[in-house]
Amino acid sequence: MRLLHNYHYAAAMLLFCIGLYTVIARRNIIKKLIGLNIMETSVFFFYISLGYLDGGIAPIRTGGADPARMVNPIPQALILTGIVVAVSVTALALSLVILLYRQYGTLDVDRLYRDEDGGTHGGPSGEDAP
Amino acid sequence: MGAYRHFPILMITVPLVCAVLLPFLGYLRERWVPRAALVPLSVSTLLGLLLVGKIPAQGYLSYHLGGWEPPFGIEIRVDYIGLFLLLVVCGISLLAMVFSPRYIGKEVSGGRLTAYYVLFLLMSGAMLGFVATGDVFNLFVFMEILALTSYALVAITGNRNAVRAAFKYLLMGAPSSIMVLLAIGLLYSATGSLNMADLSARIAESGYTEVLVVSFILFVIGFGVKAALFPLHMWLPDAHSIAPSPISAMLSGLLVEVSAFALLRLTFSVFTAGNDAIIGGTSEAVSVFAAAAVLYGGIMAIMQKDLKVMIAYSTISHIGYIFLGITSFTKEGLAGAMYHMLDHGLAKACLFLCAGCIIYVKGYRRIEDLKGAWRQMPWTCFAFSVAAISVIGIPPTAGFISKFYLIYGNFTAERWPYALVLLVGAILAAVYCLRVIYYMFFQPDKRGAWEEGGGDAPASMLAPVCLLAAGTLFFGVFSGLIIDSLLKAAAFLL
Repeated sequence: MRLLHNYHYAAAMLLFCIGLYTVIARRNIIKKLIGLNIMETSVFFFYISLGYLDGGIAPIRTGGADPARMVNPIPQALILTGIVVAVSVTALALSLVILLYRQYGTLDVDRLYRDEDGGTHGGPSGEDAP
Repeated sequence: MGAYRHFPILMITVPLVCAVLLPFLGYLRERWVPRAALVPLSVSTLLGLLLVGKIPAQGYLSYHLGGWEPPFGIEIRVDYIGLFLLLVVCGISLLAMVFSPRYIGKEVSGGRLTAYYVLFLLMSGAMLGFVATGDVFNLFVFMEILALTSYALVAITGNRNAVRAAFKYLLMGAPSSIMVLLAIGLLYSATGSLNMADLSARIAESGYTEVLVVSFILFVIGFGVKAALFPLHMWLPDAHSIAPSPISAMLSGLLVEVSAFALLRLTFSVFTAGNDAIIGGTSEAVSVFAAAAVLYGGIMAIMQKDLKVMIAYSTISHIGYIFLGITSFTKEGLAGAMYHMLDHGLAKACLFLCAGCIIYVKGYRRIEDLKGAWRQMPWTCFAFSVAAISVIGIPPTAGFISKFYLIYGNFTAERWPYALVLLVGAILAAVYCLRVIYYMFFQPDKRGAWEEGGGDAPASMLAPVCLLAAGTLFFGVFSGLIIDSLLKAAAFLL
């Protein structure tokens, strides 16, 4: 019954796992980034559902409203920051994807990191030395 | 209450604000940017040095942002250990910054030059904030600034391998950040607070709950990726070896350590160490992984042919040392772990900067190419040897002191296998470090690649390298200056 009552937490965790699975298992790097965003969204959803109150009102104390009915504003404020961070990460990741696609001509991780398997671990070859 | 109580926040904001102003200077006079970027870091270092001895008797200096009292406002809290690490961060970033202009001028093309310094300052400021903050959500924000700038700095040269390494780092780093965010959310849902001191009190009150255990495990995984704890280290060898050398020094000497420090702080100041039910099992698992890291990093470092990759694997091994010290839960082990953050920072920064000198002068990356290098680059080779000796842990250097306390701490906790692992780790370090020293000094230069009097690296690069090497010697000989207060601070934490 507790799970039924807290179904929003279960949904957030399910989304989190879907996102993590996508990041780990998909070979296309764009899909990996989509997975990353699903993970982020699931955490935002978790935070917001923490502060949610059925039929709640905005937490403005001046109007003489009942404090017990106000939603918790802290998770919302935190997630505002979280969203900004997520957007920056996604933007940086996508710009790296553009650079990668220009230089390797593929979005497949297996092909991108193929020449790393041989030898010690690959790494920088002499040609990239300044 | 003197003006010094504002110093911690100034140390953090000066680099961050200057980073925002720097692009304007770059637009007007790009040549001035490298020198201008030194100013904020020097200011932070100076403020940090002025703070020494000013920590009040209650054990920490607390600053309330905007005058809002915690737990409602954001708190900056500097205790003995925090101040110690703030100074390490300031010092090493300043030296890496001094090293940068010549090297970066050669490796990074024109338009990105200003970007490099902006990102560097953001990264230093974020690290300082990360160490000093007393608020878990602030910890996340600083961690994200740190992570974003480090992804960008790894890729700053824009060549194929650099972009690929940065993307790999991002693919591991970004999910780990999300896990930390989730962990903070769980912590908040269980306690209703975000201030570390307040959290600690509330957790002590509520005692064991499953949510706290899950939250702690997520913190360990999240910061474990950032600190490159053994099974989560895959990004490190690429990112640390391909990044420009001053950035390798920052990532390897500081970033992994401040991440380990964040975990230390969460363990001892939030999930109080006495609360065995919450952290007991996880810390056992971390010990096992840390021991594996010591051995794996050492063995992989021996197998490498590329100098910077070798140093990077050595970092994985040394992160294992730090975690073994933390998980011993003794004051000697903790003090050893903290001292290891200092001497590992100095030694690793020195090694990476030496590798940078060699790349700058000759373009060599392979260990084999170093045969007979001392004839042309005596200062670099000498500094490299001193730092390498510290990495092994031979007496006159700081590495010996920290390893001694780490092993001592594990002995007093009756963790014999881990103490043994630490000793084996030192032997592995001797193998990979002495090989390089042997090549540099005692192997004949058959190919004639190194010419006598051919010129060492320029003075602006040699000065930080030699200072770092001298630092490892200094803190080895005069360890009593610091280790006593670290032992006291560790006893305070436990």
